[in-house]
Amino acid sequence: MNAVDGSDHYSKTSDEPPPSLLTIILDTNPNAWALLSPTLPLSAAIANLLVFINAHLAFNNANKVAIIASHTQRAEFLYPLPAHEISPHINGSNTHNGDVEMADGDEPTVAEETSTDDANHYRPFRQIQSTLLTSLSTLLKTTSPTSLTPTTSIAGALTLALTYINRCTLNASTTSPNPTTTTPSDNALNPDTAPPPLHPRILILSVSGDLAHQYIPIMNTIFACQRLSIPIDIAKISGDTVFLQQASDATHGTYIKLEHPRGLLQYLMMGFLPDQSCRGFLVAPTAVGVDFRAACFCHRRVVDVGFVCSICLSIFCSPPEGAICLTCGTHLQLGEYGEKPAVVAKKKKKKRDMVDGKAKEATVRSRPG
Amino acid sequence: MAPPRGSAAYKKKDGTLAISKDNQSVFWTPVAPPRSKPALTLAVSTITNLQQTPASSAKVMLKIFATAPGISTPETHVFSFTSATTARAEADAIKDALSRAIQTAKTGSTLPTTPGAAGASSASMAVASTISSVPGAGSDTDGWYDDARLRQDVELQRSLLKANEPLSRTFVESLRTKPDSITSSQLTSQFWSTRIHLLRAHAIEKNQTKGAYNVLSSIKPVTVDNAIKLSISKEQIQLIFNQHPLVKRVYDENVPKLSEEAFWSRFFQSRLFKKLKGERISENDSTDNVLDKYLQYDDDAERAKRLLASHVPHIIDVEGNEENHSQRKGNQPDLTMRPTSIDRVPIIRTLNALSEKILSHVAPNDVDPSLPIGVDEETFNELALRDLQGDAEENRVILNIKDQSRFFSSDKEGSVSADALLYAKQDPVKVLRSIQKDLARVSSNTNLSTAIGVNDDSDTSDDESNPEKSHVGNKSSLSAASAQMLSAINEQRAQHDDLSIASSSFSTVQTSSTCGLSATTFDRLSLTHATTTEFLQHFWSAFLSGDATRATEVANLVETLNRAMDRIKAVATDAEAERQKEIDKLKKQVQDFYERTGKKRKVDYESIPGGAKAVNCLLAPTVKAIGVARKDYEKALKEQSEDANGA
Repeated sequence: MNAVDGSDHYSKTSDEPPPSLLTIILDTNPNAWALLSPTLPLSAAIANLLVFINAHLAFNNANKVAIIASHTQRAEFLYPLPAHEISPHINGSNTHNGDVEMADGDEPTVAEETSTDDANHYRPFRQIQSTLLTSLSTLLKTTSPTSLTPTTSIAGALTLALTYINRCTLNASTTSPNPTTTTPSDNALNPDTAPPPLHPRILILSVSGDLAHQYIPIMNTIFACQRLSIPIDIAKISGDTVFLQQASDATHGTYIKLEHPRGLLQYLMMGFLPDQSCRGFLVAPTAVGVDFRAACFCHRRVVDVGFVCSICLSIFCSPPEGAICLTCGTHLQLGEYGEKPAVVAKKKKKKRDMVDGKAKEATVRSRPG
Repeated sequence: MAPPRGSAAYKKKDGTLAISKDNQSVFWTPVAPPRSKPALTLAVSTITNLQQTPASSAKVMLKIFATAPGISTPETHVFSFTSATTARAEADAIKDALSRAIQTAKTGSTLPTTPGAAGASSASMAVASTISSVPGAGSDTDGWYDDARLRQDVELQRSLLKANEPLSRTFVESLRTKPDSITSSQLTSQFWSTRIHLLRAHAIEKNQTKGAYNVLSSIKPVTVDNAIKLSISKEQIQLIFNQHPLVKRVYDENVPKLSEEAFWSRFFQSRLFKKLKGERISENDSTDNVLDKYLQYDDDAERAKRLLASHVPHIIDVEGNEENHSQRKGNQPDLTMRPTSIDRVPIIRTLNALSEKILSHVAPNDVDPSLPIGVDEETFNELALRDLQGDAEENRVILNIKDQSRFFSSDKEGSVSADALLYAKQDPVKVLRSIQKDLARVSSNTNLSTAIGVNDDSDTSDDESNPEKSHVGNKSSLSAASAQMLSAINEQRAQHDDLSIASSSFSTVQTSSTCGLSATTFDRLSLTHATTTEFLQHFWSAFLSGDATRATEVANLVETLNRAMDRIKAVATDAEAERQKEIDKLKKQVQDFYERTGKKRKVDYESIPGGAKAVNCLLAPTVKAIGVARKDYEKALKEQSEDANGA
């Protein structure tokens, strides 16, 4: 219409920074938290987290938050709850019309959410707090003692986060006042794309390690975030670092290993609160060196010098048997690597691993480590 | 140019080696019987290869490989140049002339001077000959990709070193500091083997020459001492003949009668010259009885002939569409577009025609000359009716990934981490219960401000005395947290700060980018680092190749690595000395200040940056790498000498 109609159209563009969506992935491995409870009990951590969430929401009216629990064998949304889970709670609490259902102190029960609102507590904050606590207790109640493992399903949680971000971005772009095609006067740099209506980012609070088994799924989600320019921030409270450093490095996020877990609030507020529009102006307190080691595909061991198949780029810690790549099944040929270095001048026959005429070469890549 | 000749010895007899005037044969005449006939005559067409001793060797020899027709094996003829002073120059001259002659004999065409009637065939021939001469001196078109040739081309390496300042410094430095056991030729070959791409780029860059240009417009007379002088070079004459075949014709017809100088002087004053340049011929130009005959020469017919010969695809052939010419009955085209009136504004036509001619000699940029002349693939694709064709077949190679579920399953036999062991000690039921109780506590207490435990008025000393009683969110942990983050920020800043700002300032002050070292020390350090890295590369490639013949090389390289360590230490001590000087200067300043004002100023001498600490810090990875290399070498040496002794 603008082209046909000769008059000038001034579409109102907002000058405020776009809202940001913070997705928090909370590692709820009970073993790890139990180990941590002398220094940082889970309740205190949740309290600090809630203050941090309130601060984030206070920055901008349109800011959003989502919390996902990465449990031992599953990942679940803690906030916002999927629709089918909300209704039983509502039914349950309204029956007693304000009475709090009390239970014995011995049994581990959950205090039902009180429907009397505290008049001094800002409603959105309160809502998040109660939902988070309720869903967390439900999650732990439904955990059986046999399902505890040393790891946590970070890959599943990351995938859930990405899907949620995708949904919110789609919602935001259809409802935003700026159409996606703007006139050239609006955007100095790129007349074709409007600024993204929502800035998503992911924060992982990690307390457990042992993620070598999930190397491939985690790397996939990292690359997806890289494409979508979603920074992944990591607050490592305890546990092995393994690949999470690579995650924040690849997506330009912040990685902090908390040396003083009791100061969790300070770490959260100082290191992880600025959103994407501010990060361009600040120097992030991220760790300087990055551990770029990968896990080998055959044993899931962390390696720094290994063998790489030149066809499918899968990493092995030692040459596979029969010189056949485990993933793509091609015959591989080892080059001259592995020869005994001849430092004494003597005639020696060179051994070479010839497989067949159409062999491809497996070359050695070494990683700094 | 007189054909090159030089005094050379063949089969231990003195004589003269010369090339014939028509560049078709080489002959050698012995000196001994004076004025004798050439003892050895080689036709250029039979010569297959030429070799010459390198510029650095004392003896100057030229080896010619000639295959006589009918004989399959080439014979070699060796000539050693005996002249006292000019042996090298003579040898070079003969070699150049011979290689040129060989090349022309091989490609079979002379320089692209096309006679009057131009046609598509001559254009393609010109194109073909330009292509063959593109790779430069060598007659093989793979000249750019022949790594071995690039590595041996000393001239090229030298000119690249001259052009690239840091590279030459690295090279000279490593040459200077090499141990005597490694020959310089080994070092140079190793040095250049990792830099072949640089050599190639430089060679291609050097080979670019200026293309053809409009010569006539660049010839201008110069007034010297009231006489008009005009100088033209041979190259310009060649270009004139190329671009204006008419001039060549005139020259050929008239020069035996007129002298060359007279011809050219009359030419440049004549109307013909003006016409060819494209300027309008006014009435007061001098007439020239000989040259004016050619004014009538019609360039148009020639162009039309050329156009007809080149193939025009039917779909864009406008002349074939003559029926549809709207201008027959309608508006007359613009003054410049009218077919007549060439004499009014001849420059447009002339320049266009000239540019076309020049361009036709240049290899086309967008056409692949290996394709047949005619409709090439791109044009064909544009003309084809794509909608009527079906979908293209997918031409993909399938990567068979076996058993993807393996990657997502957990491996129970994997090594157990320390954390897992700790977790195993915990009783799962108890763990769950404790966590749930914990959560219940916070659910009932909805007052966040007490839950986070931040107490602004608390005194830090209380918390320090009993660490067990301190709660989450006490002041000491909060301040420790911010301290940790601030140090991380500082480190990030130090690493990623914009160094260009520091280097653009004109001060010689040591900046943080050089870690407090002066500029000269920093340069020395970076040079040492570059040479050490070079030697390390050399060492590892020799060590890991497992080649027993390179064992001595490996031993020599270990020696260089030791020397590299010493060099690094030397730079460190120098830096320390500099730092001491700075400290003394500062001390003196404090002293002066005290004497002047009677006030003592405290200065922390330890915090002055630079010195040995900075050097060691900067080069720590290199030192570690040298250590690793030495250790590996010693281990292998021990093993193998034991084997050798035991076996």
